Amino acid sequence: MIEAAVIGIVTGAIYGLIALGLVLVYKGTRVINFAQAEIGGAGLYLAYICTSHGLPWIAAAVITIAGAAILGIVFERLIVRPMGDAPRLTVAVATVGLFFALFSLEFYFFGQSPEFVAPPITGRGIEVAGFFIGPMVLLSFVVIAALAAALTAFLRYTDFGLGVLAAAQDATAVRLIGIPLGRLNMFTWGIAGALSAVAALLIEPQIGTVSPGAIGEPLFLGGLAAALLGGLTSLEGAFLGGILVGVAQSEAQHLLLATGFPGISAVVLFVIVLLVLLVRPQGLLGTLRARAEIGGAVT
Amino acid sequence: MSTELAVSSPLDGEVPGGAGRRGRGGLLTPRRSNILLVLAACLLAPTVIGGSVGQATGLAMTQLFHPASALLLSEAAAIAIAALALNLLTGYAGQISLGHAGLLGAGAFAAGLVTGRLGLPFWVGVPAGAAATGVISLGIGLPALRLRGLYLAMVTIAFGYLMYSSVLRLDFFTGGSAGVILPRTLWGKHQLIENADWLSVPLICLLIAWLIDQNVMRSRLGRALRAIRENEAVAQAFGIDVARYKLLAFVISGAMTGAAGALYGSAIGFVNSETFPFTLSLSLVIMIVVGGLGSRSGAAISAILFFLFAYLLEGLPFPWLKGLDGIVGAVLLMYTVARHPGGFASVISELREGRRPKRATSDDEEPPMPALPNLPRPEGLGARPAGDGAGPVLEVQGVTVRFGGLVAVDGASLAVPRGKIVGLIGPNGAGKTTLFNAISGLLRPSAGRVVLNGHDVSALPAHRRAQLGIARTFQQIGLARDQSVLENMLLAQHLLAGYDSGQALLRTPRVARQERELDERARQAIAALGFAGRENVPVNRLSHGQQRILEVGASLLTDPELLMLDEPSAGMSPAAAENLAERLRDLRDVLGRTVLLIEHHVPLVLDVCDYVYVLNFGQILAEGTPDEIMAHPDVIGAYLGESEAVAV
Repeated sequence: MIEAAVIGIVTGAIYGLIALGLVLVYKGTRVINFAQAEIGGAGLYLAYICTSHGLPWIAAAVITIAGAAILGIVFERLIVRPMGDAPRLTVAVATVGLFFALFSLEFYFFGQSPEFVAPPITGRGIEVAGFFIGPMVLLSFVVIAALAAALTAFLRYTDFGLGVLAAAQDATAVRLIGIPLGRLNMFTWGIAGALSAVAALLIEPQIGTVSPGAIGEPLFLGGLAAALLGGLTSLEGAFLGGILVGVAQSEAQHLLLATGFPGISAVVLFVIVLLVLLVRPQGLLGTLRARAEIGGAVT
Repeated sequence: MSTELAVSSPLDGEVPGGAGRRGRGGLLTPRRSNILLVLAACLLAPTVIGGSVGQATGLAMTQLFHPASALLLSEAAAIAIAALALNLLTGYAGQISLGHAGLLGAGAFAAGLVTGRLGLPFWVGVPAGAAATGVISLGIGLPALRLRGLYLAMVTIAFGYLMYSSVLRLDFFTGGSAGVILPRTLWGKHQLIENADWLSVPLICLLIAWLIDQNVMRSRLGRALRAIRENEAVAQAFGIDVARYKLLAFVISGAMTGAAGALYGSAIGFVNSETFPFTLSLSLVIMIVVGGLGSRSGAAISAILFFLFAYLLEGLPFPWLKGLDGIVGAVLLMYTVARHPGGFASVISELREGRRPKRATSDDEEPPMPALPNLPRPEGLGARPAGDGAGPVLEVQGVTVRFGGLVAVDGASLAVPRGKIVGLIGPNGAGKTTLFNAISGLLRPSAGRVVLNGHDVSALPAHRRAQLGIARTFQQIGLARDQSVLENMLLAQHLLAGYDSGQALLRTPRVARQERELDERARQAIAALGFAGRENVPVNRLSHGQQRILEVGASLLTDPELLMLDEPSAGMSPAAAENLAERLRDLRDVLGRTVLLIEHHVPLVLDVCDYVYVLNFGQILAEGTPDEIMAHPDVIGAYLGESEAVAV
């Protein structure tokens, strides 16, 4: 029970990273990036190539994260920006295209057969209250906490970061006072890509293998549920939502394992997405503005 | 900010109202293509029987098709049906689904239960699959009543994932084994074992799906769906029950998808949870978006081409080509949404028409409003309860509308007597349009009553009030502006069509006859309004003034008890407004209509109205005849201003 909760918290924190990327992009461009997790999922193949050529895990991770960030930036420049003020759903369909492109590329180059990225650290981990916390779990906690702190500090205490937050509030006003909106959006998509890669690298040891879509799909749905639960516009909400989703999933799996019911985690995610959107569309920490958008105005 | 998918006008050959292209001389008019398709079906049908009796006749399709290519075509036909189904939902009704593969799977599994487990023939199994998914998609449709755009996309992708990783792995479906067998039983022990014999079945089903799709688009059902995609408020104002039609779109699309899944499963004979992967939903989206959202032929053709393309690449002697189809599709999708949102269909129609300027007429062309046509209510079409004729047509009693803490309308009361023009004036933000929305039902007031012809309609939704005879215009033109003049005039007659959606799907003679009448009436109105020859021009290519004329004409086509006009003179030149005054008087004096008019143009109001209400800060500040209003000190002080009052 407690062990399941701990596993849930770490999975949930990783969902939180994906949710953070979703929230940043949503705040910046009002688009849901359906490729948010698949960017990292594809990035894992980069990590696989690097480690299988003898590079240490940490170098592979850096290359993967950089690659994912570049992919995010390139997508913003090539697709999102030229679309300008197109309906948001149309831009979202473009991200569906990116998801499918990445998935197809994985399939094209690596096929269905699963690959393996050796985890950076192995061992028994440390014992807390009678059960073991694995080394990857500890690493995940450290990395995510550091990342969240760094990102928060950057957004709150640098001019550029404040610009990103301001643009999320009112893009027109930001443009009028002379902040280059394009560069802010590029940054947002780049960070979203990097976060995706970190999330994928951290969750990969839990899943164990890399195959097309196998990491990106559950990670995206988990991150989406987390972002919605957190409120879709709240950075803190993304992590809160992530942890709640992760724990709910883990506990449900723990409790219902004996029933043999397939895909419990998918059921949990679907229920959370549906319930949040229908019952509390502004999520736990979101603003009412998001609520007004989900149904559209009457006239 | 709109969250709906942008779609351009579909191919000309697919606009509803088949008669619309008389004289355009296209080779494949809907009528001719129907005949061709029916002929094709007649040719194919015997082979099903032929095949089942062991190819005794020697005429079976086994001689025409290699088994592998017959299988491939069977699968492609099934996928094309799924693409048509998704296009119906997303392209026509504007409701996106990123989880349709889940429905394909459910259809196949349900059919498998019937054909594999119970041993019933496929012609029971395929409808069973359709029925099962029809019910499931009713369930997905329910959240869609509250969620739009991106949010519907999120729910449907979560649904797709749920189906893929959980539901389709349940023992109930799979019987504990790895998957479900779908035998192609025709009757008893006869099975369509040969792929070439089976091929007729998916082809005939594709033909049926195509015809149903065509029937939908040539009826009020399709017009309602397209109106919902463009503007739900406008759809409601024309009497369309948005919730009902959205659900209907989900059910029709879901049932078609389920049938497609059953056909696909029967073609390959065995399905498991990996047969319909999560990403297949996205492939379907690629097919319909690249083909051209809202284009029937675009969806079907691109589905078949994408499907065959994958096999073509495998068959070529270059191994590196294998699997490139997904990448090509994804890139095409991104390119399409970024550069050509109308997809391939719009590219073709542009090529065929030659590149036209975005607007056929310039904005400064402001035609005078022509005499408005008086079209009698067609006989034999739906009737509505009339008032006793004694009381006022509309009574508004103490209506209050709150937005959170803001009171937009505060206890407003007014009455509109039969055969009169009543004006509602007031400064910007006084709450005039909000009151209009409360009267027409787009908003629920927090207090007060709206009484139409003596019936309290306060509890009724907008489309029901439209049914009872309230017609209204909008400041931003209440028409489906991406659609043609003719389509809008047909849309306006939504409530006059006396057939139900089931009849529309089958296009019964009754539907055809009524559609002819509605078409005739629409054309009369178009001619009377001065748009003869421009029936097929999209409304958004007309000037603002022209759109306004059409809008007023469309609202008259609904044969309203009460006509509510929201700033008809907005954006008009003084000369055009002068002409508008004359037309408004015609509405009352010639056509005998009852009008409630919001106007900023005060001289116009004082000129034409029998009675005027002044709204300020949500409250009725003054009321009276135009003379009384002109002399009212509060009105002069609070609204008109001293100098303007003199000018009037």
